[in-house]
Amino acid sequence: SSHEHKLNFRKSKEACLSYIQDALLQKQWKRAAEFLTCYVESLEKDYSREHVGPSEIIWRIGTEILWHHSQSSMKEFNCFMEQMKTLGVKRYLKVCLEHVFHLLCNGQIDEAYQNLSLAESWRFGEQTAIQDKEMKLVEAYRGLLDYYSWSKQKNILLEHSEDGFSDLAVEQEMHSYFRKAAVSLKEIIKIPGVWDVFVKCYVDLLEFYGDHNEARQVLNEYAYNSKFPANPNAHVYLYQFLKRQGESKKSLISALKILHDIVPSHELMIDFNTMLQKSKKRKKRRLGLEVIFAALDYAGWKEDAKAWSCLARQVKQIVISEKHLDWITQEWNSRKDWWPAFHFSRYLAKRNWQENKSLSYEKALVAGILLGKDCKYFKYVSHQGCKAQLKRFRMLKKFVNRHNSVYLRIS
Amino acid sequence: PRRGATGERWEAADAAAVPLLLPSAGCWIPSPAPQDILYRSSLCKKLRAGKSGATLDFARQLGHFFVDHPEDAFGSLGRLLHKNFYLGNSKLKRPARSSTIRMTALVEDIDRLEARRGCPRQHLASRLRWFSHLCRDWLFEVPLGLLADCLHEELMQQWSNLLFDDSLTGGALAWLPPENEGTPVGRLVHPGGQAMNHLYFQDVVLEELPRARGSPAQFELSGRVRQVAAARVDGEDFVGVRSDYHCGVWRVPGRTGSAPTPLQVIRTDVPASCLTVSPHLPGELSVCTQSGTVYLWSVEAGLQQLRHDPQTMFFRDHSPWRWSDFTAHPRVLSCADRTGLQCLDARAPKKCHFDLFKVGEEAGCQQGERVVLPMYLGRAHPSQYLVTTQFSVYVLDERLPLVPVLKWAHMMKAPPLFAHLMPGNPGRSHQVLLGASRTQELLLLQYRGGSQSACQLAGTPQKLHSIGGCLQHLPTQLPHRQHLLQQRLTAPAAGLAATLQEDGPHKSMLVFQLSEAGDVFCQRLTHKAAQSPAPPSRDEATTAPGSSPLFEAPASSPQGLGAAALRYRRWLRAFSRACREPPRHTWHPSLSQRRLFTRRDLQGPAGPSSLQRQMRQRLHQAMREGGRIQRWEPLAVQPPPLPQTLEPAGAPDPLSARLTAAWAGDW
Repeated sequence: SSHEHKLNFRKSKEACLSYIQDALLQKQWKRAAEFLTCYVESLEKDYSREHVGPSEIIWRIGTEILWHHSQSSMKEFNCFMEQMKTLGVKRYLKVCLEHVFHLLCNGQIDEAYQNLSLAESWRFGEQTAIQDKEMKLVEAYRGLLDYYSWSKQKNILLEHSEDGFSDLAVEQEMHSYFRKAAVSLKEIIKIPGVWDVFVKCYVDLLEFYGDHNEARQVLNEYAYNSKFPANPNAHVYLYQFLKRQGESKKSLISALKILHDIVPSHELMIDFNTMLQKSKKRKKRRLGLEVIFAALDYAGWKEDAKAWSCLARQVKQIVISEKHLDWITQEWNSRKDWWPAFHFSRYLAKRNWQENKSLSYEKALVAGILLGKDCKYFKYVSHQGCKAQLKRFRMLKKFVNRHNSVYLRIS
Repeated sequence: PRRGATGERWEAADAAAVPLLLPSAGCWIPSPAPQDILYRSSLCKKLRAGKSGATLDFARQLGHFFVDHPEDAFGSLGRLLHKNFYLGNSKLKRPARSSTIRMTALVEDIDRLEARRGCPRQHLASRLRWFSHLCRDWLFEVPLGLLADCLHEELMQQWSNLLFDDSLTGGALAWLPPENEGTPVGRLVHPGGQAMNHLYFQDVVLEELPRARGSPAQFELSGRVRQVAAARVDGEDFVGVRSDYHCGVWRVPGRTGSAPTPLQVIRTDVPASCLTVSPHLPGELSVCTQSGTVYLWSVEAGLQQLRHDPQTMFFRDHSPWRWSDFTAHPRVLSCADRTGLQCLDARAPKKCHFDLFKVGEEAGCQQGERVVLPMYLGRAHPSQYLVTTQFSVYVLDERLPLVPVLKWAHMMKAPPLFAHLMPGNPGRSHQVLLGASRTQELLLLQYRGGSQSACQLAGTPQKLHSIGGCLQHLPTQLPHRQHLLQQRLTAPAAGLAATLQEDGPHKSMLVFQLSEAGDVFCQRLTHKAAQSPAPPSRDEATTAPGSSPLFEAPASSPQGLGAAALRYRRWLRAFSRACREPPRHTWHPSLSQRRLFTRRDLQGPAGPSSLQRQMRQRLHQAMREGGRIQRWEPLAVQPPPLPQTLEPAGAPDPLSARLTAAWAGDW
């Protein structure tokens, strides 16, 4: 019966797919290709309402096979892609984009550009929301390629100007690239999403032409619009922009403060801490201590000598001045039950000493102040340091012994 | 493309996975298969063809219960009434007849019913109906309705476990690497024993073919081991072991040869679904139970409840499965259910939390997609996580939550319940192994990036040998033993562990796989440094089914092949020895067949009786004529045989005499 026939057809289709998969995962491209040619038959009766239909499967698997098959050429690959574009109208733009990426990976930038322009002019029926978004993406990538040409021209011009003559044709070409790139890049970054590459390029363009207000607006929008996902890079770009513009410390600090709130473990927290430590305002220095303590909570910073030296410097400063010991107490209170095991164990003392003497010096200073002179970490490191006759470790021992009262006060 | 140009090239050293340990003595009892609990009948199959959904064989299971546990089913009433049930074959004598039921007749009726199962013109035997009507309410020790409810619940549970058993999530195999790279002796932690309730710490020497050294440290636990998790903190390994109602933690000092010490055990009221060991602080673990509770468990400070919520986080899902893992911040834990992941701060769990992953639009999930296994990838990058679903693999970065930095559709046939990370050196790709349970699939992925460059897969994913794959290379056995062997080797996988081994310029990867039967198999992959873009497909020939390079004469091949074959031979010998022992569990001490069935019942029919022959003839005739048989009685209606008159021993009383005469039709 037809029902049975359908059932058997589906079964053999599934079996075929699993053979292909098997071959793919064992890198047997030839075998996979042979099975795929059989699988193409399933297109004939595509009744499936599954999430991924046969035509999409053929596209994805076929791409994969052609990418790896020893006897395939770029020409064949392009031919296959063209066929896939006509196979499913809904997928046209997706296939185009994927094709372009492959071309770019092979260094065929001009062909990629042509493909993108072609896709831009493609129209089919009424545009759906998804198609609209994909179209924006296509345009954005075309804009990115324009930006690429623009920066190439720019470099040529810069070289020429060094040599002392200017080239009007090149300059004009460059400007036209700029216009094309700017228009399409501007469009995509209006849609909520993560557009790091596009934003960076767009801002670079604007800055080159001196449109700093627009650049600032774009970056602010990208960082602060609540419709966009909370993206730490957005704040990093804003901070870097402000720094380039030579903005005041205050605005730099406020940009980094937000980054600190989102990602306390960010690399820029070292800069942030140094900036805050230098500040004359008490509140800022207080924030600085909080920032460096928070960064060192994270496993990624555990063995970072720079971060530890930041903390050691600030703690030392506070101890010497004997003002604001309560800051340390406050920070230490939420950490004293786990920092000793996390940072200041005897095992770590041994290992830090062996691997990085200056890290162990900074850590020993902090440990000595926070946990007293009897703490395992401090004892081991200062003992080893004195044994090795290193002057700075002897000084360290003296310093901690002199200020042992601090430990009693904060604990 | 989603891929970077090239990944590292790993090639399997052998044609199949090789057993690492000898099979344990004693027969393994396979867990129930679909045919054990499904209703089997041609009629049912037809009915089911249209509809999806399985029919559970409820009646058979209830019957098994009565036979296996007669004491629990009807102990006291059975003892009270045993005089009133007669199990013999002969006719009952007069005075006993009024108060005794002849069970043989009932059994015959039941058999007849069984034989006619599926017949559309099925009539219940009235005697059976009468019997069940009479004693349904009082015969059973446990009220029948209650018992049936419990059994039904259990059957449903078993069935859903068969479809997808999430109690194994995480896997019950852990590898404790050697402390310093120099000594090639690591330790494998795995469960074993008939009920998988023994925990073994086995020293393993990493050679060309890894081998066990010495006898393992062994602990007997009070439940089946579901998960073994391990992490190294400050040079010591902490091993967490989860069974349904107990979780325990062991400490293993780094020096080789030092004995593992049990530290603490906790008991839970509801089965635990997750146990992970902190990679940051010694003696810290996280535990989740199926009631939706997440605990931070510290050996020193005890348990701290972080969350209690029987509901799922982002949308409603019925699964009680929960998972939790550690993050880059030692006080922040991730907790997961089927709908997504959240991170919460142990210092203020109610206030400080953020969503890390949500099944939905941000991650481009499919309909019906659910979280299967989350894992912290801290050893590769401090802020990365792996989340697997039944369709895809995601890599997430906690600094940019909700938007996956990498997504790949893995196309595995069963959801990946096990994952293992082998971090690469800076700038190199990280290796991730994914393993499924039921289908034993093993997949090797490579990815790189995260800090300086974007995250992407490196090279193509690769399939590794499964335990069952070695079957085609083994010599053919006797049919029944072949069946046993197949059953054993294709048992669902229960764990996964791996290690990288660097020996000068040679780099290799050792992958260990544990099956539910307690077998540990291992395979070596060798790293190929220089690579032509597409090497001639030599591997296509060697791995084609049918050929078995494993057992070919090792004349031209390096010693590895011979050693592998030897290992196999030894394993097979031990396996067949273990199977030859009489399976004791099939004997039942309390039931003797002799009393329930007469010798005649047990004898096969010698040949068709005359009545049967006659019936057969009539059937043939009816079929020839295309007619139908209305009555089964022989054509010439014989008067029903008269009950045999009892010859009274002594002188009959007058009433009896009259009745006897009346019976004989003599008025």
